[in-house]
Amino acid sequence: MAGNFWQSSHHQQWILDKTDLIRDRQHDLSILSDEEYQKIFNFFASIIQVLGEQLKLRQQVIATATVYFKRFYARNSLKCIDPLLLAPTCVFLASKVEEFGVISNSRLITTCQTVIKNKFGYAYGQQEFPYRTNHILECEFYLLENLDCCLIVYQPYRPLLLFVQDIGQEDQLLTYAWRIVNDSLRTDVSLLYPPYQIAIAALHIACVMLGKENQKSWFAELNVDMDKIQEIVRSIINLYEMWKSYDEKKEIQGLLAKMPKPKPAPQR
Amino acid sequence: MDEHTLRYEKIDFLGEGQFATVYKARDVKTDKIVAVKKIKIGSRLEAQDGINRTALREIKLLQELQHVNLIGLLDVFGQKSNVSLVFDFMDTDLEIIVKDNNIVLTPANVKAYTIMTLKGLEYLHQNWILHRDLKPNNLLINREGILKIGDFGLAKAFGSPTRINTHQVVTRWYRSPELLFGARQYGTGVDMWAIGCILAELLLRVPFLPGESDLDQLSRIFQVFGTPNEEIWPGMKGLTDYVQFKQFPPQQLRHIFSAASDDLIQLLESLLAIYPPKRCDCTQALQMPYFSNKPAPTVGCKLPMPSNITRMEFEKPSLKRKLLENIDGGSLAKRLQF
Repeated sequence: MAGNFWQSSHHQQWILDKTDLIRDRQHDLSILSDEEYQKIFNFFASIIQVLGEQLKLRQQVIATATVYFKRFYARNSLKCIDPLLLAPTCVFLASKVEEFGVISNSRLITTCQTVIKNKFGYAYGQQEFPYRTNHILECEFYLLENLDCCLIVYQPYRPLLLFVQDIGQEDQLLTYAWRIVNDSLRTDVSLLYPPYQIAIAALHIACVMLGKENQKSWFAELNVDMDKIQEIVRSIINLYEMWKSYDEKKEIQGLLAKMPKPKPAPQR
Repeated sequence: MDEHTLRYEKIDFLGEGQFATVYKARDVKTDKIVAVKKIKIGSRLEAQDGINRTALREIKLLQELQHVNLIGLLDVFGQKSNVSLVFDFMDTDLEIIVKDNNIVLTPANVKAYTIMTLKGLEYLHQNWILHRDLKPNNLLINREGILKIGDFGLAKAFGSPTRINTHQVVTRWYRSPELLFGARQYGTGVDMWAIGCILAELLLRVPFLPGESDLDQLSRIFQVFGTPNEEIWPGMKGLTDYVQFKQFPPQQLRHIFSAASDDLIQLLESLLAIYPPKRCDCTQALQMPYFSNKPAPTVGCKLPMPSNITRMEFEKPSLKRKLLENIDGGSLAKRLQF
């Protein structure tokens, strides 16, 4: 929705402080290293992305679902709810909030089953997607409660479009920056910075990648806290660095085994 | 979640709508009186859809909005798809007040209700939200005389030029001509028209345009404002559900609202302009002479209330007044209390 970002719950309640975030993750980080924790979130962000694409959702809806997912675990340990259940629940809630037609629960479950089997077999092996409609419905309310009923999430895509327009129509620049914004969902930046800053950071990285020196003056004229932009850039670059030496297919089973889990495990 | 169910003590049944049942309750934690709106589960098929969409719409919007003239969402609780929303408790609504023959609505009262409605709606529109279901029944009033716009189940973000909206919104009597002609791209004008109809109803004390069908609704509109032609309303004939109507000549609003002042007629004409782009928005409306001319709007605590609502706490004389009376020595023996 449009509305006013500065008066929104996103700005007033959900731009978190980095030290608070680290403190709230203490339990999980006593079991997992920082990097392992990030790799697990990277994996579930992929699940949400693929699920969303299979369900033909717009990227905006997928991004909102991913932010719900991150907000939930910003306050809760991974052992609270199995992320494999929370991920489709976030997709389900986001599609309703963003007024994206109707995804029937049975279609959601079927899609989860095929996606887990066909695209993430390397993580779950022969295991089937273990959850049913009633699990999702129960989880949906728990999610809503933990989001403090704050459902409207502002995304960097809209400011990004405006900035690119302002720089001057450049399809390649938009394509690159758009993908970088998608990638940023794999980091914590959506919890820590307002979306317009993330958009600027993504543009900045895209300009450097494309060797667009002549955009320097555009950045110089911005009235924005460049330190923040640099922090976001660093988070995203760190992600790319991590990806270089990371083979998810090899490591993820071990990570999932190590991950804190709810007890008792759901009935199969 | 059990703590929640225990937190709100049911006091009274307040009403039942299509989607929900509303109870008056006491918040045990704060001792405040609240309204609990329990969303109906509906059919099994609907239950499969999880948290009710209408409730979600209300939650997501009200969580972002804070204005004295909008209903406040205090809490949400429930289990699975059985959701309850907790709101400010409101003693009455404008429909009850309009229908109450014991209540006299002075021009100053009418102005007070209109200002409060427009201010709440102005804030909504500034946040790019259309209410889409304004009617006297959704303008809630508490015993302090503060009006708050309620029921956001149909509200929606607007402004996207490509967005196709449904035209099946707004209770028929308050529905604008473009909606009745099936327009799918509309704006704040649909809410402005509804406000015009509500203001007219405050003056007439009966619904202004009580159409019995969508066609009858249009016919009633045109009988008052005249049947528009392409000159008055460019593009009208291109609307999905456009039908040709008999030619009615426009009437003078001052003949219908014979007791209304000229500045009020001017406001009505602006709210009820047939061609949507000609309708004023809230900010323009609030700047019209009607609101700065006399009489001044009635202050909240002096606005009339249905007789069953006691106003005890507001009728106590202020301490200052008591002191003054004592100085005068004029305070007679206390009235006998029965």
